[in-house]
Amino acid sequence: MTDLERHWEELPVGPAPVDAIMRRARAAAGDREPTRRTRASLKRVGVLACVAAAFVAGTLVAQQDSGSGGSTRIPATEPAQGDAAITPAAFHGELQRPESCERLVDHYVSRAVDLVGRHGWSSPYSELGNLHAAFDGVRANTERLSGYAGYAKTTGARASETGTNVQEQGVDEPDTVKTDGELLVRLRGAELTTYDVSGDAVAELGRLDLGDFHDGEILLVGDTVVALGNDGTRAPSDPYGDYEQEPSPQTRVLTVDIGEPTEPALLRTVDYDAALLAARQHDDTVRLTLSKGLPDLDFARGRGAARANRELVENTTVADWLPRVSVDGSEPSGFLRCARVAVPRAEIGLATTAVVGFTADDPAGLEALAVAGDAPLTYESADHLYLASTGGPDFFCRGFCSFDGISGAVDGTTHVYAFSLDGTGASYLGAGEVEGTVRDRWSMDESDGVLRLAVGPSSETGNFNSIVTLRAAGDELVEVGRIDRLGVGEDIKSVRWFDGLALLVTFRQVDPLYAVDLTTPRSPRLLGELKIPGFSSYLHPLGPMRVVGVGTGPQPGGGSGAQLGLFDVTDLSALRRLDVHSYGAGTRARAGDDPRQFTWLPEQRTMLTVTSRGRTGYVSTVSIDRGRLGNEQTQVEYGDDIEQVRLVPLPDGKVVLVTGEDVEFFPLD
Amino acid sequence: MEHDTEFADYARRAWGSLVRSAVFLGCSPHEAEDLAQTTLVRCYTAWPSVTGADNRTAYVYRILLNCLRDSRRRRWWGERPTAELPETAAPDAAAAVDVADAVHRALAGLSKRNRDVVVLRYFAGLTEQQTADALGVPSGTVKSRLSRSLAQLAADDHLTDLRPDLAGGS
Repeated sequence: MTDLERHWEELPVGPAPVDAIMRRARAAAGDREPTRRTRASLKRVGVLACVAAAFVAGTLVAQQDSGSGGSTRIPATEPAQGDAAITPAAFHGELQRPESCERLVDHYVSRAVDLVGRHGWSSPYSELGNLHAAFDGVRANTERLSGYAGYAKTTGARASETGTNVQEQGVDEPDTVKTDGELLVRLRGAELTTYDVSGDAVAELGRLDLGDFHDGEILLVGDTVVALGNDGTRAPSDPYGDYEQEPSPQTRVLTVDIGEPTEPALLRTVDYDAALLAARQHDDTVRLTLSKGLPDLDFARGRGAARANRELVENTTVADWLPRVSVDGSEPSGFLRCARVAVPRAEIGLATTAVVGFTADDPAGLEALAVAGDAPLTYESADHLYLASTGGPDFFCRGFCSFDGISGAVDGTTHVYAFSLDGTGASYLGAGEVEGTVRDRWSMDESDGVLRLAVGPSSETGNFNSIVTLRAAGDELVEVGRIDRLGVGEDIKSVRWFDGLALLVTFRQVDPLYAVDLTTPRSPRLLGELKIPGFSSYLHPLGPMRVVGVGTGPQPGGGSGAQLGLFDVTDLSALRRLDVHSYGAGTRARAGDDPRQFTWLPEQRTMLTVTSRGRTGYVSTVSIDRGRLGNEQTQVEYGDDIEQVRLVPLPDGKVVLVTGEDVEFFPLD
Repeated sequence: MEHDTEFADYARRAWGSLVRSAVFLGCSPHEAEDLAQTTLVRCYTAWPSVTGADNRTAYVYRILLNCLRDSRRRRWWGERPTAELPETAAPDAAAAVDVADAVHRALAGLSKRNRDVVVLRYFAGLTEQQTADALGVPSGTVKSRLSRSLAQLAADDHLTDLRPDLAGGS
C-alpha cells in the first residue's frame, strides 16, 4: 500500500451527521432563504443628521491625492473638482483616511501577502485557497444573481411607486417589471419590452434588444430605464472548465430612454470590474454597492513561484485594488480617489466595497467612496446607508453553504459603518460593532435615529437571537439596549420592523412569533409570544390590527406545504391566529422566497400571492372578510417561469399579471 | 417518510468517501466535513433527481465538485476560520489535520484537472464512466489523465506500488 492509499484509509472521519444534514436540508427545501423582513416608514433621523452635517461642514476632504499614479484618475464625466459641497468621505475613528495612495496600497499588500502562495491566491491548492474567502462572495452575489430568492425579502405595507414591494418606503429596488401607472416596462433576458397599461387591454408598444446583458433587473426613473446586470463574461462557458482562468465578476449598467415608448433607445453603457452587491433608487439618484475582490494577477507557476508571486503582490498598485469603470466601451479607468477609500481599523475581510451614486440621466457622472475591506451587507434608509461586514462565519459552513447565509465576523462580531446620503453623494458618519451575526440587510432597520439589528448567534453569544439597538454618539454607533434569549436554539425566519415594535419569527419545530416593544430603545421589552405549527417566512401588516404570515406548515391531510395565516395583533401581549389557509401537501408559497410575488390591495382587502405545486404555478387570490380567509386559485405558469410571475398594482385599481411570456390584466371580482 | 429513510441510509454510506475525497481535493478536515454536508443537503433537496439519475454516484460527486467550485468562484477573501475545530469535528482532529497536510503535499504537484481524476477514479473508486460523468469529460480523457497523473505521482515517490490494472484502464 502506498502512502497516499494509507492516508485515505487512515484519515479519521466521524460518523455522518445525518440529523444535522436532514435538518438543514428540510429548512432549505421548505424555505430556501428564511429571513424576511419588512419595514416601516422612517421618521427623520435627527441625531444622525446633525452629526452628518457637522462632519460635512467641518472636514472637507482635500481634493488632491499625493502620488496617485494613473490609477485614481477621475473619469472625464465626473463632476468638476470644484464641487466641494458634495465631497464625501470625512473619515475618522474606525474608518481611517489613508495618508496617501502608497499607504492605501500598503494596507492592501500587508493583508494580501498572507494570502499568496506558489499557486497564486491560496493554499494548499490554488483553486481552493479562498475556500473560506468564499463566504462573502456567496452572500455578496446572492442579492443580485439569484434575485430575491437568495436573500430576505420585504415589503412596505404598500408597493413602491413603480409597483415593487421594497424594504424601505421611498427607496426603490430593482425588479424585472416596473410601471409608472400607465406604461409598464419588462425585462426578460436581454429583451426590454414596453406596454401600455392605461387602456382596457394591455398593449405592447416597443422592444429593445440589450445585447450582451445577463442576469438583469431594472429601475424606472422618469423616462429612463436603468438596467443592472452583467455582460455575461463572468459566467464560465464550460461549467467544468478551468475555473482558475475565470474572470472576476463584472457589472454592466445600461440606461434606456423610453420617452418614446414605441422606440426604446439605448443611451449609455457603463461597465465595472466589480460585483454588484446592491442597487437602490431614491428620487432620481441611483446608488450601487460594488465589491472588488482580490485582483487578477499573472501568477507564476512551478519552481520559485512562491517567491515570485509574493513579489507580484508586493508590487501591486492602487490600480490593481480599486474598481475601474468603462463608459461606452472606453478604456477602463479608476473612479475613486485614494482619500475616498477608507482603511478600516477592524480586521474585516480583504476587498474593496464601493458606494457609487449617479443620476439616471448621467450614469457616468459618479460620486464614490469606498471601504478598503469587505462590508457587503447594504441597508439603505431614506437618508442613510449602512454597510456591515461579514468577515467570516463563526461556523465554517454558515457562509459557505448558500442555504444558511449567516454572516458574522470570525471573531463573532459584526462591524457596521454608517453613511449619510445627500443626492448622489455620501459621507461617513461613524461605525459600531455588535457581538453576534447579522444575517442579511433585512435584519437591519433604522427608526428615529436608532439602528436596530436582529442578531443571530456567534462564538461570542449564547445560542439564541437578540434585538440590539444602537445610536450615534460622536463617530460611534453605541449599543444602547438589547433583548436576548429570543428563540433559544432556533433560527430567525423573518423580522418585521415598525417604529416602536419588532415582530420576529424564529423556528425549529414550531413558529414562535415574538412581539418586541422598541418604543424605548434602551430597554426593548418582550410583549408577547405566539406558538403555532409551521412558520411564517414573510409577514405583511394589513394595519394596526392584522398581520398576514406566509409560510410553511403541516397540512390537514398530512405532509407539509404552504400556509397563509391571519394574525390578530390588536393586543400585542395576546397575539392570536384568527384563521389559516392550507394549500395542501407539497405546495410552496413563493412569496416566502420573494415578496415581490406578494401584492396587497388595501381597497379590495385582497391579497394576491404566487404559489406552486410541482412545476405548476398559481395565483392565489385571498380575500379577508370578518377575520376569515377566502381563497381562489388561478393556474398561470409552469416551470422555471413561475419565478417571473408578478402581480403589479396600478393606481386605478387594476392589476397587471406578468408571466414568462405574457403581460395582461388579471381579473379581479 | 420513506424518502427520508432512503436518504439517511445513503448519507451514512456515502459520508466517509465524500469527506475523504474533499480532503484529497484540498480541503482541511473541517472544511471537508462541511463540504460533504453541503453536498448531501443539496442531494436531499434534489433527491428525486439523484435517485432518478442514470448514475447516482457520478451525480453526487458532480454536486461535490460543484460545491467546491462555487466556493472558489467567489474570489473575495474573508477572515481565516478560527484555529479551533468545532465540536462536531472528527474524533481525532489533530491526526486528521496531519494526514490532510501530508496528502496536500503529496498531491500538490498535480494540476487541478489531473487531481480531480485521481481522487475520483483512484481513491474514491468511481468507475471510469462515473468519473467521466462527474467531471463532464469523455472517458478517454479520464483514462489518459489518470495514467499521466499516476506516472507523475510514482515519479514523485508517492505511489510507488502502482496498480497497473488501474493505470491501464478498464
